[in-house]
Amino acid sequence: MNTLRKTSKKKFQKNLWIILFNFMFMYVANAQIQNPYNLAPQVPQPASFQTITVGNPNIYNPNAVNPQTLMNLEQQRIQQQNQRIIQATLQQQQNRRQQLQQIYAELENENRHINYSLPSHLNKKGASAYLKAFDSLQKFSDDYPLKKAVFIVENAFYENKHSYEEFDKVIKNIGKFLLRKMDEFGYDKNSNLAKNLILFRFFSDTLQFNKKGLMHLPINYDFNDAFGDQNWTKMFVTKLLSTNTGQCSSMPRLYLILAEEIGAEAYLAFSPNHSYIRFPDDNLHWYNVELTNHMFTTNSMILSSGYVKSEALVNKIYMNNLSKKQLLAQTFVELASGYIHKYGYDTFVEKIVSKALEIDNKNINANMALSNYYTVRFEYVMKQLGINPRNHNELQNIRYFPQAITLLKQTNQQYKKIDDLGFEFMSQEAYDNWLNSLKKMHEMEKSKQIENRIKLNVNKLKD
Amino acid sequence: MKKLYLHIIILFLLKANLSFAQTIDSLYQNAFVQLSQMLDGKQKLDFKKAVFLVENAYENGNLDSVVFNQNIKFLANLTEKVIENNQLIYNEKDSVLVKKLAGIFYVMKDSVPMINQSGKRFVHIPFTYDFNDIFGKLDWRQMFVSKLLETHTGNCHSLPYLYKMIAQELGIGEQVHLALAPNHFYIKTRSEAYGWYNTELTSGIFPNDAWLMASGYVHLDAVVNGVYMKALDEKQSIALCMVDLAQAYQKNKFYDTDFVIKCADKALEVYPNLVNAMLVKTEATGHKIDNILTYKYNTDFSKVLQYEETAKMFYRLQDELKKIHQLGYRQMPEEMYLQWLVSLKEEKEKYSNKKIRNFTKSQ
Repeated sequence: MNTLRKTSKKKFQKNLWIILFNFMFMYVANAQIQNPYNLAPQVPQPASFQTITVGNPNIYNPNAVNPQTLMNLEQQRIQQQNQRIIQATLQQQQNRRQQLQQIYAELENENRHINYSLPSHLNKKGASAYLKAFDSLQKFSDDYPLKKAVFIVENAFYENKHSYEEFDKVIKNIGKFLLRKMDEFGYDKNSNLAKNLILFRFFSDTLQFNKKGLMHLPINYDFNDAFGDQNWTKMFVTKLLSTNTGQCSSMPRLYLILAEEIGAEAYLAFSPNHSYIRFPDDNLHWYNVELTNHMFTTNSMILSSGYVKSEALVNKIYMNNLSKKQLLAQTFVELASGYIHKYGYDTFVEKIVSKALEIDNKNINANMALSNYYTVRFEYVMKQLGINPRNHNELQNIRYFPQAITLLKQTNQQYKKIDDLGFEFMSQEAYDNWLNSLKKMHEMEKSKQIENRIKLNVNKLKD
Repeated sequence: MKKLYLHIIILFLLKANLSFAQTIDSLYQNAFVQLSQMLDGKQKLDFKKAVFLVENAYENGNLDSVVFNQNIKFLANLTEKVIENNQLIYNEKDSVLVKKLAGIFYVMKDSVPMINQSGKRFVHIPFTYDFNDIFGKLDWRQMFVSKLLETHTGNCHSLPYLYKMIAQELGIGEQVHLALAPNHFYIKTRSEAYGWYNTELTSGIFPNDAWLMASGYVHLDAVVNGVYMKALDEKQSIALCMVDLAQAYQKNKFYDTDFVIKCADKALEVYPNLVNAMLVKTEATGHKIDNILTYKYNTDFSKVLQYEETAKMFYRLQDELKKIHQLGYRQMPEEMYLQWLVSLKEEKEKYSNKKIRNFTKSQ
């Protein structure tokens, strides 16, 4: 990395000299053109014409020479002189053009050494696990086991050191446990509402495992490093299962895996910086589950964050059920996120994200990842060219580098797309405030009301 | 002899009355034709003209178009002067547009000091919200831009309309979009730095979308279906004027329900989810059914299903009401509306868009 920086610095200095030289030369060339034009009007002045004819009788015989012819001669001389000047100017201009072309060609030549794509990380330790994961996910049809997809993404980060069989066993056991509990509580196994209630209780309640008094405790929100900035495995379902704490990505993911296990209908939905669960009851009335707070939320609670724009709703990027296919797109995004956290951005990231967008062009996280990728790539090129992209005046200099212009355009287009989709940036602080605001008395009461209603309805089914 | 005079006078009065009604009606017909031509692409889309046609029809043709246009022109000029004399720090590509938008907002919502040619100082006072008769139930003129220009007080109908008209005068009419919320109109614009943003002229605040959804009467489906909070284009804005025309017509105590339905249908042609048009249409259809039952069959609404003609209309009406509900429309009572409107000022911290920069008072 260090050597790479050094070489690019050298290159940048060389470029700078060429650019500077270019400017200096242009200035000199301009001065040269201007000079003959400044002299030209002085030549045909009548004053100088007068002095020559009268003041120098030794050279010209005033009697022999008709003033008319003299004037003609003089005019001819002036014309010739002008001709010469024009000729010289043209010559100079041509020379200048040639020299400039030479310099542009040299610059162009130099450009070939500028790397317009990010260096690959695929040769790094463990990166091949991501290639393998990408291939496996690509083979998935629309009807794939979610637990497998999730496991593939997480195991790639662990460099394929974990065993799927073990993970699968844990999930199956929980599934069996939940069905047993449903029997125990007398829940109707044909009711989607009842199935989702047991899932909700698995996350929020204390459930007895067996008669020996072994308990399954509620799964709590892990406030520590909730976005996995320091430790990416904080986002993982495997981490949730081993610690019984999770966050807004792993908790809904486990919910969906378990829903699939016991045949419940439930969906993932996004809100700003967040994801949650939506499910229908047996009369197609929809519920929102906020697992981080163990709550049932209303739409207005989600909207109260203030970061959901109407365009986002129209484009269905927020508060909308993700189909199994769309969920696969999101799984690709998560694969890319893990790779970015471990290694950084490169063309492989672009490949994964493009795949996600191919499946679901409006997936907001894929679009964000792509715009980040474009930004990093553009900044990488700017660094090589020695241009600070945040300085408006410096940025003008990219006009000499058509490839860089293309990259900038691509980046800006992607920003515009995100804008059009209705995305608005929400800070971590605003997010925390919103999540906390849900725990206010009024909201908690409302959630309790919904929960009681669900329990009432599930109990009605018993008879 | 006296009797004869009286007869003549009565006859004359009758005739005058008749021709009077005729001219008003023709004013409405004319407005309908002109608006239709705009919607059909046979005439240039001209929002300012459309608004004038509607208001003039209601005012029996007594609205002076010269004064009306001069007023708008004056406000546009004032905006240009404000832009010249104030600084707005905004460096994106679309700074010309953003400065104009900020200028219009300043002229409408702030006192603008002016000096005339003889050096006398004036202050142009801002346009404020009129809390009386907000839906024009007592006097339909409450909704009008002409009333707003005259009294400098208006409501959520006239204020955004005026903003758009000044924008049109400044050549940025197409970039200023009207948008709908329950019982409410506001302005949506877009800029490089802020993205889409809302301008609320009743309180002079730039609210975020959360405020609009917080009224409690914006069903999520209504947003997804483009019933509410959608930036209307020029054509759709004219469609809105068409609904205004239908409403003004009704308020003028004309009972030709067919004209009302015709206006609404024309508006729905270009903007099928325009819930305001649907509501006007269903209401007029209800009246129409009532009229048929009363005058043709000499009975009342309870017998609506007994006659094929009215039953058919009634079922269609039911379907339309169902569609309105499915689109996400929910009726909002007036007091709830006022409460919501005021909530923006009371909870400014929560609901205002803090990104927007504006001209600040130079003095």
